[in-house]
Amino acid sequence: MTAPGAPVWRRLARSATARTLGPFVPVVALWWLLAWLQIFPPAFFVGPDVVLAELGGLLERGILPGYLSDSLTRLWYGVLFGLLIGLPLGFLVGMSPLARRLTWPLLLFFQAVADIAWLPIVIVWFGFSLTAVTFVIVYTIVFPLVLSIVAGIEQVPPELVRAARSMGASPLRVFVEVIVPGSLPSVASGVRTGLGYGWRALVAAEIIVGTSGIGFMMFDARRVGDVAEVFLGMIVLGILWYALDALMLAPFEHATVERWGLVRQEAAAR
Amino acid sequence: MRALQIENLHKTYIDSYSADEVVAIGDVSFDVAEGEFVSVLGPSGCGKTTVLNIVAGFVEQTSGSVTVAGTPVRGPGPDRGVVFQNHALFPWKTVLGNVTFGLRMRGVAKAEREATAAEYLRLVGLTGFEHRYPHELSGGMQQRLGVARVLANEPAVMLMDEPFASIDAQTRRRLQEDLTRIFQERRPTVFFVTHDVDEAVFLSDRVVVLTGRPSRVHEVVAVDLPRPRDWRSTGELPRFRELRNRITDLLAADDESDEAHAVADPA
Amino acid sequence: MSTRRVNRTRSVVWFLAPFAALLAVWAVVVAATGVPMRIFPQVTDVVRALVTMTASGELFAHVGASLRRVLIGAVLAVVTALPFGVALGASPRLSAFFAPLLRFSVALAGIAWIPIATLWLGYGDGAVIFIVWNAMFFALAYNTLLGVRRIPVPLLRAARSMGTGRVRMFWEVLLPGALPSVVTGLRIGLGYGWRGLVAAEIIATSAGLGYALFLAQKTFSTDVIIASMVIIGVLWLVMDRLLLAPLERRTVQRWGMTAGVS
Repeated sequence: MTAPGAPVWRRLARSATARTLGPFVPVVALWWLLAWLQIFPPAFFVGPDVVLAELGGLLERGILPGYLSDSLTRLWYGVLFGLLIGLPLGFLVGMSPLARRLTWPLLLFFQAVADIAWLPIVIVWFGFSLTAVTFVIVYTIVFPLVLSIVAGIEQVPPELVRAARSMGASPLRVFVEVIVPGSLPSVASGVRTGLGYGWRALVAAEIIVGTSGIGFMMFDARRVGDVAEVFLGMIVLGILWYALDALMLAPFEHATVERWGLVRQEAAAR
Repeated sequence: MRALQIENLHKTYIDSYSADEVVAIGDVSFDVAEGEFVSVLGPSGCGKTTVLNIVAGFVEQTSGSVTVAGTPVRGPGPDRGVVFQNHALFPWKTVLGNVTFGLRMRGVAKAEREATAAEYLRLVGLTGFEHRYPHELSGGMQQRLGVARVLANEPAVMLMDEPFASIDAQTRRRLQEDLTRIFQERRPTVFFVTHDVDEAVFLSDRVVVLTGRPSRVHEVVAVDLPRPRDWRSTGELPRFRELRNRITDLLAADDESDEAHAVADPA
Repeated sequence: MSTRRVNRTRSVVWFLAPFAALLAVWAVVVAATGVPMRIFPQVTDVVRALVTMTASGELFAHVGASLRRVLIGAVLAVVTALPFGVALGASPRLSAFFAPLLRFSVALAGIAWIPIATLWLGYGDGAVIFIVWNAMFFALAYNTLLGVRRIPVPLLRAARSMGTGRVRMFWEVLLPGALPSVVTGLRIGLGYGWRGLVAAEIIATSAGLGYALFLAQKTFSTDVIIASMVIIGVLWLVMDRLLLAPLERRTVQRWGMTAGVS
């Protein structure tokens, strides 16, 4: 609650939304100015007005919503299966020294094989299909997630485990009450990293597989030289990511890490 | 029956870097009667915390035995509650969640849990903070919570590992007075590890003075100071100073013999 | 000491054993099920492909092209992003203004720029290097900014009260102080850059490991695909172990500062 006497504009300027969106205003203005001065040829660089008109056109023809929902469906399947595989695997590898010994070198290696390098072989296996794209996104999410969970379990102070044990908690209870919440911050950052990679993999896959989706839309537009549509695609991707981050990932972190006063590293950019 | 009995405790471990065998505890025997407050005091690095960790079941001894209320210790258990130096509170649980943790593990019903929690929170002066998270409490309050959490579980022995070492001097005195008051009221059996001579004398019925590594029991000093105690009066008693000086001398003698040893044997 | 050597050998064996097991399972499964090569190659096929690629010099040409692009892109990114990040971080106003922009850009960086990069710079080296640079720049700049902001104020005051000038401040205080975060940024950025490289090479060039993958996919040469994937993985591990890990050890860990989780 702000003081009732404060002017409306000042209250608006102080709000979180304004502070986040504010910086984009001069950037868009600069962009407009550059386009208007025609410093770059219009075939390579168009202003926000043209992009906006393009948006209108694509919305009207229903192309953008269609592609958008295609992209989101793929991302959703990828994330879903990525979490379903990554979470249990991560806790298994983190908790069992044997599982860890057996899989750790492999995990490091498969993490190193850039996800996008899987696309060609996946296309050979599954053709240009949803399965191929999902496979790659799952791959991108699982490895960072597993590595983060293992790191998170290692970061749980051993004293907390000892405290729980000395109050009569069984190993299962220790896992549920101590290990899981204690590693949550790291799990959250793992999900974030994984999504960041998954998002990029999705765009790359859509460009390469090329049937539909925002990535496809952008590359298709590039082929016919429609700069406005390429710009629009990038902006849509950016806004989507921002929304995903602000609506889903940030609230989760807020509810856990901040509330518990755990040492929180200011989120490194993912 | 003795609440806690330690016999010929011996602990060696392999230094992971030099691959040498290190004797942490030479030969330690003593016991704690029910409702007695016993402190273990020794030069830093003498292995007093190792003794506590063995009693708690976190570490296994090389030889010797530890029995609590007649049963040999095997791993950690709710009969031995531990108050840690850095509190070890669960950051994701509220004050209430922390206090009721042990009861929940034992399957105590919710209403009863909360009644017990309220009682012990009142005992340590944390009533009204039930729904705060640990990071919202001061260091002193956090350690009170650590004590309440253990007492609520009604262990046979409360093990305290230098619980006030990381707390500022003034608060520490308050906490020591609170602890001695709680002890007076409830008479739990306490096994207290510290390197602070004043603290040991002020709180204890007996002080076990250990030698440097490999540690042995140097002497067990009975503290015959009247209870209830508080710093204002107890700290001024001639007997308090006498005991304190005596233990300080014991520790210093050990230091000197250590140095002499080091000179004689420059390996 | 011999015990230490024994330990070392043991850990190497433990590291290699899972790979041996994986190769064995692979060989047995392919032999038992008889999947055709155009779906999944036998281990020996991949080895043969590696040998052929090495003998013909093709492998070195691809690896060389990829490494050159990563190197140029990375150097450009470091040279541009570090001063930018430090300059922004040193001023609370600038950093408050630019932080959301940078975060936004990090989310977009790399692959999403491929269409526009190829439009601006054409298919070829330029576009690929641009993608690598772009993927690293934002992650590095943003993390540098965070790192500078995280330097304890007393440290800055101490330096200033000893009469440190602007240039020396950059080299002696701001940059080393931000280093844990910079190293994190470098790791993340290089990760994005490497993936961006592969994607861009698949799409936009006629040389490099990504292109080798693309070409092999057209002809269903799964042996070459897998061989290239192995090379990509090994190269990344080598970069990580020989470049990033020692950098972290020598600076962040040596100085007792903890690095951010990456």
